[in-house]
Amino acid sequence: MTTSAAETTPGSAIRAPRQAPTDLTITFAEEAAVRRTSEALGEPAWLLADRLAALGRFAELPIETNQLYTTYVDLRSARLGGVVPYEAPATVVEAGGDGPAALPDGADGLIEIREDRLPTLVLSGEARRAGVVLETFGAALRRAPEALRPLLEGGSLLPTDDKLAALTRATWNQGVLLRVPDGVRLERPIVVRWALGAPGRALVTRTIVALGEDAGLSLVEEQEASDAGAAAGATAAGAEVGQAFFAGTTEVVLGRGSNLSVASLQDFPGNVVAFEHRFARAAEGASLHWALAQLGTRLVRSRVDNRLEGDHSSVEQVEIVFGGDDQLFDLTSYTRHIGRDTTGNLLSKGALQDAARSYMKGLITIERSAVGTDSFLGEFGMNLSKQARSVAIPSLEIDQPDCRRAAHSSSVGPIDEAQLFYLESRGIPPDEARKFIVLGFLEPVVARVPLASAQDRLRELLEEKWAAGRRSTVA
Amino acid sequence: MTATRPIVDNDRSKFDFKDEIVYLTETKRGLRRETVEEISAIKNEPEWMLRFRLRAYEHFLQRPMPLWTEGLDTIDFDRIVYYRKPSEREEKSWDDVPEKIKQTFERLGIPEAERKFLAGVGAQYDSEVVYHSVREELSKIGVVFMGTDQALKEYPEIFQRYFGTVVPPEDNKFAALNSAVWSGGSFVYVPKGVEVPLPLQAYFRINAENTGQFERTLIVVEEGAKVHYIEGCTAPIYATDSLHAAVVEVIALPGSKVRYTTIQNWSNDVYNLVTKRAHAHANATVEWIDANTGSRKTVKYPSIYLRGEGATADIISVAVAGRDQHQDTGAKAIHLAPNTRSRIVSKSVSKDGGRATYRGTLKVAPGATGAVASVRCDALMLDDISRSDTYPYIDIQEDDTTMTHEATVGKISADQIFYLMSRGLTENEAQNLIVQGFLEVFTKELPMEYAIEFNRLVKLEMEGSLG
Repeated sequence: MTTSAAETTPGSAIRAPRQAPTDLTITFAEEAAVRRTSEALGEPAWLLADRLAALGRFAELPIETNQLYTTYVDLRSARLGGVVPYEAPATVVEAGGDGPAALPDGADGLIEIREDRLPTLVLSGEARRAGVVLETFGAALRRAPEALRPLLEGGSLLPTDDKLAALTRATWNQGVLLRVPDGVRLERPIVVRWALGAPGRALVTRTIVALGEDAGLSLVEEQEASDAGAAAGATAAGAEVGQAFFAGTTEVVLGRGSNLSVASLQDFPGNVVAFEHRFARAAEGASLHWALAQLGTRLVRSRVDNRLEGDHSSVEQVEIVFGGDDQLFDLTSYTRHIGRDTTGNLLSKGALQDAARSYMKGLITIERSAVGTDSFLGEFGMNLSKQARSVAIPSLEIDQPDCRRAAHSSSVGPIDEAQLFYLESRGIPPDEARKFIVLGFLEPVVARVPLASAQDRLRELLEEKWAAGRRSTVA
Repeated sequence: MTATRPIVDNDRSKFDFKDEIVYLTETKRGLRRETVEEISAIKNEPEWMLRFRLRAYEHFLQRPMPLWTEGLDTIDFDRIVYYRKPSEREEKSWDDVPEKIKQTFERLGIPEAERKFLAGVGAQYDSEVVYHSVREELSKIGVVFMGTDQALKEYPEIFQRYFGTVVPPEDNKFAALNSAVWSGGSFVYVPKGVEVPLPLQAYFRINAENTGQFERTLIVVEEGAKVHYIEGCTAPIYATDSLHAAVVEVIALPGSKVRYTTIQNWSNDVYNLVTKRAHAHANATVEWIDANTGSRKTVKYPSIYLRGEGATADIISVAVAGRDQHQDTGAKAIHLAPNTRSRIVSKSVSKDGGRATYRGTLKVAPGATGAVASVRCDALMLDDISRSDTYPYIDIQEDDTTMTHEATVGKISADQIFYLMSRGLTENEAQNLIVQGFLEVFTKELPMEYAIEFNRLVKLEMEGSLG
């Protein structure tokens, strides 16, 4: 009886070989599909050529090219065999989605991508008048294809040795271009929102943010469940729900003296596997601030590349993880000091409940040219359950000793008993006190979210997740 | 096949630790199954050891070359002679020893006779006498200290019980290589409750046998016993062979205390690839005190597996990387039992284009509750053509671990130099003083005569850097 069930159920594969940690189960990355996507988007020949070059790289690169990290790769929870990207996601905004009413309070712009739809794309009059551009790649290619070319061609704003970046570069089906001209400093943030989670579907997207000289921008990235994703996420615990796939980039070029703050709130539903790349080149005197909160997905593999090319450029990166269930957060960051007197300040913090895992891999490289570097990397973990696992690999590669500072620091510890005692002595119940300490540990990112509504949302999500973790501990 | 020519060794027989007959033997270049069988046959080993060697050989063939550290793929395994019986009279002459090494002996103040031994051109008979008397003292209290080959014959039970249990042949490619072709090294056995009063110095023992290329050291310390073992010396070891792949296994049984001190100073053409690991059982303490100044490339991470409740690990690792050198060193502490403690301190100096890499692992396995661990890595770079890397791996799988890790990299500040020069020191002296101070955490753990020599060695290295 069981035999016949196995024979008649496609994909039940009782004798399927065990998936190795480095096995990437994606099947949609093949030449015919790439050609179809390119044709559907009406792309010029150079763009198709770029996709095919990237596809070649994807095929030849191993999943992890950095020999330091090959033992910390685990894609076994990704089951992406049947996942297919949307053939032709919308490039035209839905009715009413571009009017002033669609603009959230306190923001200067919003673009919203929900699965294959484009419900909202709106920019304040002020931003438009200042010459800020916010559009899809589709629109940009129609309007002025050659303007996009130097930003896209050759993957100049993506790591060249990364298999998953090559995957995105080959197969992207949606893109967002955000340009701020020289001297323009927007007061209020621009929001980019992606929503997904429909089982079996993939959203592969690139976002390019280009700031001119002395330009200033704050960007809020919101990654959340679509309606289909919320439905899948609600049943994800235990039940076998088809996975959804997200591959996304934020590719940043910072002009001289410009300033960019990015706050990201990743709360995809539990059936999503996400591969994320953030890559920034900073020119002289430019400053970059990342505040990244990683909460959602089944598995997220993220890579951040900060290239401090210009003298006196700087990056501040604060990343938090709040994990539960059997989530895996695989987070790598590379910071390369190239110019003189550059500054890097990188902080990662993870609090893990249930059987969640985090791999925090940070590498600071100080090139010989980078005289006067000040660089600090901190990775801190808090395991809140006995099944949780935190891995930290904070590394330094230094060719120039003439530094203001080159250091890293890491610690893993339980909730501090002294802090707990103090709070309890003030009449706060133990569980409440624990919550305060854990959420306080993760506060550095919350405080850096520029948009009040997004900040509130992040606080709510952290509290919800804390409560969910408590429930599973009691159960 | 190999020529095996017995020669009679009358002079040495009075020391009672050499076989009457010494075979002058060398295997053909390259490594084949027959090479392994031949080594085992020459040594007249029991069947189980031959099987162990062959199992290791098979694994060595299958195991890919590690890629996480550069330059190992240049090793040509076909050019190496895997077994060479140390002969009574070396064919090499003092004239063959490079000038630089001779000068270093001179400046370190090493006696003439020792220089020849250290250069591999003669034996140092005085130290054999010392070694002989030390052995008599030790045997009175039941301590065994002898060559590993000899121990396999004389203490087969202890040997078979522990050999290969800490570092199995499958551990890594070079452990597999060593397991297949090992020869020489030290065997130490300390019975229950015995505290060995003086450090056991491999230096004396090795003097009599020449330094092995594929040494295998096994140290078993019974419950409540205590021993300090010292290997290496400050003088550069001039080796004809460019590959040194050793395995060291230490078993610290409950409540024992073991300290293992190494000063590695191979000449600058040697690839030194060593697997050093200790098992610390309940309430045992293991200390690795490890310094690396020589070799072209050293890959060595002394490791302690804390297997019993209340065990303690303490590792001090020091590296000095000069021109054309890469010191890829570090430490590993693996917490496998409750209430275990570890401390790792690493200090590295890179200069003249040298590269110092710290690579370490700190792991707390599920079940190792209440672990306390700290890692401290400091690197000093003396110029901007050198390189320093820090790659720590921290993997925590318990919820009540207390772990801290700190690392800094920097140079000597102009202020410090200026201050010392204003007190009448030359720039070179000032720099030297600062480097010695930086490495003091290591030096102060050494017996005094070693500490003096080590400081002298650092001073020499520093002079080179300013020349």
